Amino acid sequence: MAAIESVINWFADPSHWSGPDGIPTRLLEHIQISAESVAIGALIALPIGIVLGHYGRLGNLAINLSNVGRALPSFGILAIAFQVFGLGDLPIILSLTALAIPPMVTNSYVGLREVDPDIKDAARGMGYRALAQLFRVELPLAVPLVMAGVRTSAVQVVATATLAALIAGGGFGRYIIDGLAQFDYSKLAAGAVLVALLALATEVSLAGLERLLTPRGIRLVKGAAASRATTFKTA
Amino acid sequence: MNRKPYSGRVLAALAAIMFAAVACGSSSAPAASSKGNITIAGFAFSEGSVLAELYGQALQHAGYNVTFKLNLGSREVVAPAIKSGQIDLYIGYAATDLEYYNKGAGEATGDATATTAKLNSHLQSINLVALTPSAAVDQNAFAVTKATQQKYSLAKLSDLQPVAGQLVLGAGPECPTRPYCLPGLMSLYGLHFKSFKALDTDGSLTRAAFKSGQIDVGLVFSSDGDLNSLGLVVLQDDKQLEAADNVVPILRQAVASDDAKKVLNEISAKLTTADLVQMNAQVQLLHQDADAVTNVWLQQHNFGM
Repeated sequence: MAAIESVINWFADPSHWSGPDGIPTRLLEHIQISAESVAIGALIALPIGIVLGHYGRLGNLAINLSNVGRALPSFGILAIAFQVFGLGDLPIILSLTALAIPPMVTNSYVGLREVDPDIKDAARGMGYRALAQLFRVELPLAVPLVMAGVRTSAVQVVATATLAALIAGGGFGRYIIDGLAQFDYSKLAAGAVLVALLALATEVSLAGLERLLTPRGIRLVKGAAASRATTFKTA
Repeated sequence: MNRKPYSGRVLAALAAIMFAAVACGSSSAPAASSKGNITIAGFAFSEGSVLAELYGQALQHAGYNVTFKLNLGSREVVAPAIKSGQIDLYIGYAATDLEYYNKGAGEATGDATATTAKLNSHLQSINLVALTPSAAVDQNAFAVTKATQQKYSLAKLSDLQPVAGQLVLGAGPECPTRPYCLPGLMSLYGLHFKSFKALDTDGSLTRAAFKSGQIDVGLVFSSDGDLNSLGLVVLQDDKQLEAADNVVPILRQAVASDDAKKVLNEISAKLTTADLVQMNAQVQLLHQDADAVTNVWLQQHNFGM
């Protein structure tokens, strides 16, 4: 109980809410690192998954490659990238981007593959050209799965961005590393709580975004898209 | 000394262990007219081997039959070994040894002589004695790059006072809470840095941060072998913030003859921190053998080999 109390007291201390080591600064750093990594990852992963899913080729290759990608330890990439690039945001963004890519490739590939062939036939029959068919028929139908991939990536990245502190970066990982070094266990626990809260917030807000982006036509039952997405998330 | 093993030291230690394993049998002195047997231990990091070889070879050439036990372990291994008489001598560090034998009572200060006197008061009852501390010291120190040093013409930590507001300090994440680090720099020297960057204690992050210019002042150990090659200059701790980890021979009273003490004290008197940096560099960075490196130093300082 005393431990929980001391963590609550840590949060209650106004000095922890301002300055370069304050929660707002660390929050912004954490979000910045995570958002940059997910954005770069999405720019790489989504086109690959979408194109391969659309044409239905090389699917095994894409999925197997990204599964191999999942096996790469972020800490290992970070350590190597630090040796190559030195201090700064680059090594951490590199390792987080590598973490972000696989779920987005897999999910967007599956999302595009899962579009009912009859619907594609109908689209062609109505006179859609290839690109229009992709952007106006297939992609909207694939939104729930594609976004589930983005969500998975983002949550993993937010949780893993704590590693940045290992190479003198910012973010909530700072509290964990500093807390350990200073034997300040309430700071350490507060860091862990903050990361968990931010990961939850990421999950919830991206789920909201997913609902907004899903075409009303396939938003049949409340929660249907989400349950479908979960089914395929690890495909 | 707060030794944080990092890869270079670990590798050097491994190399030294292998070397020691090979060399152990042959490292006893020529048997001619021996003044007695002395077993000397070295701590399990490369400076430990350098110091043991340095003092041990000097004894050898003074006519003692010396057995080397290099890389024996940490103080937790070496101290019980000397208490039980398995070894006769090791080269310690005044403040750290004092805090070991007084069980962390916090008696060590920045004054090497006073710290060694205190150490001796604890050693007496267990039949050990610490000799005169050397000027050579391996302790927490604050370094700047040569460029920074020249720009602000710095020599000692007090010189930082007028410019600290423009400088970034880098050290381990524990620095802001440790008296020997940020709080001490603020209260004793009145240094208020522009900001503090949490890195590591004398490791690769600190080196990378110096290289990329993200910090101006960083925490290192005063005898680190790579200080010269990194272009770092240690600022003198003129108000003695850091506990005096001066090199000091600690031996069993049974072997502490006037002659042996004289040999050891002569080495301590001539050894400097710069020498130690130089020898550590040769062993850690150039992977030369500690016995060869120390032999050169002994010859240069007329210990007639």
